[in-house]
Amino acid sequence: MKKLSKEPLNLIVAGVGGQGNVLMSFIIGKALVSQGYFVSVGDTYGASQRGGSVASHVRISEHTCYGSLIPGGHADVILSLEPAETLRMLGQFGNPDVVTLTNTRPIYPADVTSGRATYPNIDELLKLIEKLSAKLIVIKATDEAIKLGSPIFANVILIGALIGSGVLPLNKKSLEPILRENFPKEFDANIAAFNKGVELAGH
Amino acid sequence: MDMKIESCRELIEEVIDTGLCTYCGACAGGCPYLVSFKDRIVLLDNCTISEGQCYQYCPRTHTDIDGISQQIFGAAYSEDELGAVKEVLTARSTDSHIRERAQYGGTVTTLLSLALEEGFIDCAILAKMSNDKIPGTFLARNKEEILQGAGTSYMAYPVLEALNQIPKDSTERLGIVATPCQALALSKMKKDPPQNRVNIENVKLVVGLFCTWALGLDKFHQFLSENLDLPQVIKFDSPPPPANRFDVYSKSGKLSFPLDEIRKFIMPTCTYCLDMTAEFADISVGSVEGIEGWNTVLVRTDAGVKLIELSKAKGELDTGHLPSQSLAHLKEAALLKKRRALKEIIKKTGDKKKLLYLGLQESIVDRLLA
Amino acid sequence: MASIELDAPGTMQLLLGNEAIARGALEAGIGFAASYPGTPASEIMDNLASIANDMGIHAEWSVNEKVALEAAAGASFAGIRAIASMKQNGLNVSSDFLINLAMTGIGKGLILVVADDPGAISSSNEQDSRNICKWIDIPLLEPGNTQEAKDMTKWAFELSEELDTICMVRSVNRIGHTRGNVKLGELPKKEQRAYFPNIWNKFEPMRSKFAAGPFPQLHNVLHQKLAKAEEKFESSPFNWYMGPDNVELLVITSGASTSCCTEAVKELKLEDKVGIFKLATTWPIPENLIEKQLSRSQKVLFVEEVDPFIERSVMELAANLPPDSPHLIFYGKRSGHIPSYGELNPDLVINAIANVMGIPYQARDINYDKEAQELSKAVPVRALNLCPGCPHRATFWAVKNAFQLDGRDGFICGDIGCYALGFAAGGYYQSRTMHAMGSGAGVANGLGNLRQFGFEQPVIAMCGDSTFFHATIPALINGVYNKSNFILLILDNSATAMTGFQPHPGTGMTGSGEPAISINIEALCRSLGANVEVCDPFDLKNTTATLLRLMTEEGGINVVIMRRECEMVRAKRKKKFPYVVHVDPDICIGEACGCDRVCTRVLQCPGLIWDKQAGKSKIDEAVCTGCGLCVDICPEGAIIKSPT
Repeated sequence: MKKLSKEPLNLIVAGVGGQGNVLMSFIIGKALVSQGYFVSVGDTYGASQRGGSVASHVRISEHTCYGSLIPGGHADVILSLEPAETLRMLGQFGNPDVVTLTNTRPIYPADVTSGRATYPNIDELLKLIEKLSAKLIVIKATDEAIKLGSPIFANVILIGALIGSGVLPLNKKSLEPILRENFPKEFDANIAAFNKGVELAGH
Repeated sequence: MDMKIESCRELIEEVIDTGLCTYCGACAGGCPYLVSFKDRIVLLDNCTISEGQCYQYCPRTHTDIDGISQQIFGAAYSEDELGAVKEVLTARSTDSHIRERAQYGGTVTTLLSLALEEGFIDCAILAKMSNDKIPGTFLARNKEEILQGAGTSYMAYPVLEALNQIPKDSTERLGIVATPCQALALSKMKKDPPQNRVNIENVKLVVGLFCTWALGLDKFHQFLSENLDLPQVIKFDSPPPPANRFDVYSKSGKLSFPLDEIRKFIMPTCTYCLDMTAEFADISVGSVEGIEGWNTVLVRTDAGVKLIELSKAKGELDTGHLPSQSLAHLKEAALLKKRRALKEIIKKTGDKKKLLYLGLQESIVDRLLA
Repeated sequence: MASIELDAPGTMQLLLGNEAIARGALEAGIGFAASYPGTPASEIMDNLASIANDMGIHAEWSVNEKVALEAAAGASFAGIRAIASMKQNGLNVSSDFLINLAMTGIGKGLILVVADDPGAISSSNEQDSRNICKWIDIPLLEPGNTQEAKDMTKWAFELSEELDTICMVRSVNRIGHTRGNVKLGELPKKEQRAYFPNIWNKFEPMRSKFAAGPFPQLHNVLHQKLAKAEEKFESSPFNWYMGPDNVELLVITSGASTSCCTEAVKELKLEDKVGIFKLATTWPIPENLIEKQLSRSQKVLFVEEVDPFIERSVMELAANLPPDSPHLIFYGKRSGHIPSYGELNPDLVINAIANVMGIPYQARDINYDKEAQELSKAVPVRALNLCPGCPHRATFWAVKNAFQLDGRDGFICGDIGCYALGFAAGGYYQSRTMHAMGSGAGVANGLGNLRQFGFEQPVIAMCGDSTFFHATIPALINGVYNKSNFILLILDNSATAMTGFQPHPGTGMTGSGEPAISINIEALCRSLGANVEVCDPFDLKNTTATLLRLMTEEGGINVVIMRRECEMVRAKRKKKFPYVVHVDPDICIGEACGCDRVCTRVLQCPGLIWDKQAGKSKIDEAVCTGCGLCVDICPEGAIIKSPT
């Protein structure tokens, strides 16, 4: 078991209800447990599924299971499926040392499409996210996923990017069996998405 | 006086909720928000547009009567009882088939059929009654279909909604049979052509109907169905004073109601209407006092003149001279309506200068009230 | 996702708290489980039902929580260990039986798991279900993490049998929905036989124990059982103390709040000054153990959610301490240090402890904090909305239009489920009331019987197919029998959607995947004497006309079944969308008079977005599910659908 860069290491997987952050945090959590770590994953369920903000808090430790909620300002890594949610998480949980990985495809809430609120311009949004992050990795996960055949692959692309970035004590080998277990029928498509993510995190 | 165009909220506040709405349909059918239903205009959802065409063309929001007169007749609005008139005549259809079905002389049916045949219009927007005598709007594209619209129900119907439902890029030229308030709405559109939804240039002919009042659809139809076997009814008629009755002709004969029994169904907004003879139409048509089976026809515009001349030339219409006594009575009745309406408006606002929707010169108001 | 039937004792697995509870029940050798879907409890039965056939147990989705608890009790009476699980509102529904059950006692071990929702993340109310244990005199257990969720559930069955009473295990969102490392235990292998013997009531010969009486005496017996429980709790290993023997501040906590406390103390670096006593056997409180803790410090902070349950119990206890005891200062909800509503989180606890200890706390660099707060203001709020393709959107649209055309200020009495969103923008604000399961029809009964007082507004009650079976039927019968006047809309989307698509009596399948009778809702309603019609909500014209006709012309009880499959259910069955939908930008008139972008501004389906720069609406192909509803809304015909 590799030593953690911080004890506990706090990861937030954020997005919009229905995007699949629960599955992502489960896959990451399982991979960590298989490597001997203590993991606590807290998800938001239920009503938030219907288009609300959702986030999974993942606490990683060498010794014990921490409470599932990360204290304000204590995220070490933020992995996000939706750029506005990235900024929201940074607002609550960011700090000068946080590493951020974000997708670029906006999901417009009803408040915006109906005209009651405005969604910030995406380039502006990424600039704000960069300002609040020690390191920022931007992944056009949905665009790449559509190239691979379906927007749903964005999740696994982002997991690949997370692994590729090296912020977690995980590598491709530790993820493969978990991906195989969860996607028995579409393993090849998902491993391709995963590899794409690793590659995208490279530069 | 320049009009400030407001939104549908003001339309509802100022016209619909105050009972001024004539149910002409000028605001409805052109957007997802305003629709007609039974005898009301309904707002299905809120619209955020601050200057709406619904408000702009409503004949009961501020109306620059002078400006409209200038635009259509080339002259300011005068207090002439019958409005701008180039020719007065009596007329009836030479086609007995038409006369059989007609309210009076069948002139409207004849004029529209001719306009269609000659290619002045491609279709006519009319109201027609169902078997149960419920009015509905339809688009007629031939003589037979126009004939189906013959006869009046006396119930207010939002015929202009159908105009709003025609796609803006349609090239079909239109003829519309309009009550005075509907003709006024159309002339507001002609003066300031709509940017969206309606191509007013397509409206080539407006045939106006004389109108003293209109009946509220929902309650009057209920009254009718309680008292009559409606599928048997052929025609309704409210003969001019001193008749004081409302006649219903059915297959089994004629039934008359005292007009007082019918008065409670008159739409309250009619109290505030000055226009008896549809002053802003191309041709206005009504009954002839004392002479059954003929129409009084007031020709107002060049387009109207052209059509009347053609119908005479083609032998579609028998025409005649309106007896001077009848003309005098007609003018009297028209003037009376203007005076009564003005008085009611001033009573309502309490201020001679505040005339609800009317943009009239003060001098004209004074002369009318004198 | 994880398999709770894994026969691998001693191995470490990543389990959801609810999976851990299910596993704990399995390790205790249950033979019977019953539940009704409710967040945050649903996964307990989701898991038990999925392995029921393999493990030879009976696991059912009952029609409501009362029947679920009753059924589980039946199994217990016949010698089979049983578990009933439900969310906080389910406890309310089953409470009448629960109270009576406390009176009679049980057979084999019987556990009630109640999952509370502090913060009401997925509920229509906020409640602290622990209070009922004090009210009806039953033992209460609160696991503090995922491992305990398993271990305490397993132990609870033993406890239940030793005391001869039902025990309540209380979970919350952060226990049930948290994944954590769990070391698995052994799965029992022995066969079970069921038989319901005749056990005499100890007070009245010839009277069965389970047809109890006399009640005052049984009430006293209950108190004696609690005294026995307290004795056991004094030495339970699930209660522990962490910290020096004597401290400046003693924190008393339980359940999910425990980890907030340990984290707070560590974060504030107060391990040598602040001690934490974690209580897991929350009712009855082990008084000697608590008194011992109270001697560690003069300051006590209570950290729990939601109500000051332990706080008040300990304060009662403290009132009886010997007069020469040191004066204790209590902090908690009474003092305002811990909020008495909402969910707790580590920040609230850190701030409370820092406050009591008088030390400053800065969560992160102060400049970063300022900047982060300022910059994140740009993020728009995300209100809840119905999914793209949801048939309820079409239903609400039709209802909205029908009410407007009717013009008499009609409204919906709403209910629980996805269509609860009728109170929000996504449902066009049509629901004027919303309370509990079945309350829509219940409240409509009253509103529909006020004609003698001049009431003329059209009343629509709403329920889903699962809710219908759960609670609406009695209200419908009442409406017919007591001559009320309302329209009951049954939104039959063939799913219990909000909680995760569990089956119900109308879906033709049991929880463990076997075919079952599909109860015909129309036939049932007709047999009750109601007028019944069926509509497809996506046929907007017909649906609106039907609703309008019924509200303007018909009195009495009219049932309209809005039948259209939930989009998520349909998508799982058929991978393809019904249509490919796109907006023709040349036809779209956007914000102009004549439209004012009705599709994005009013309909508000998440599949449609407004391109401000182009001034046109657009389909978001990553979100749209191709139902085609928007095609019927567009006044210009700019939205076009083509079959896939």
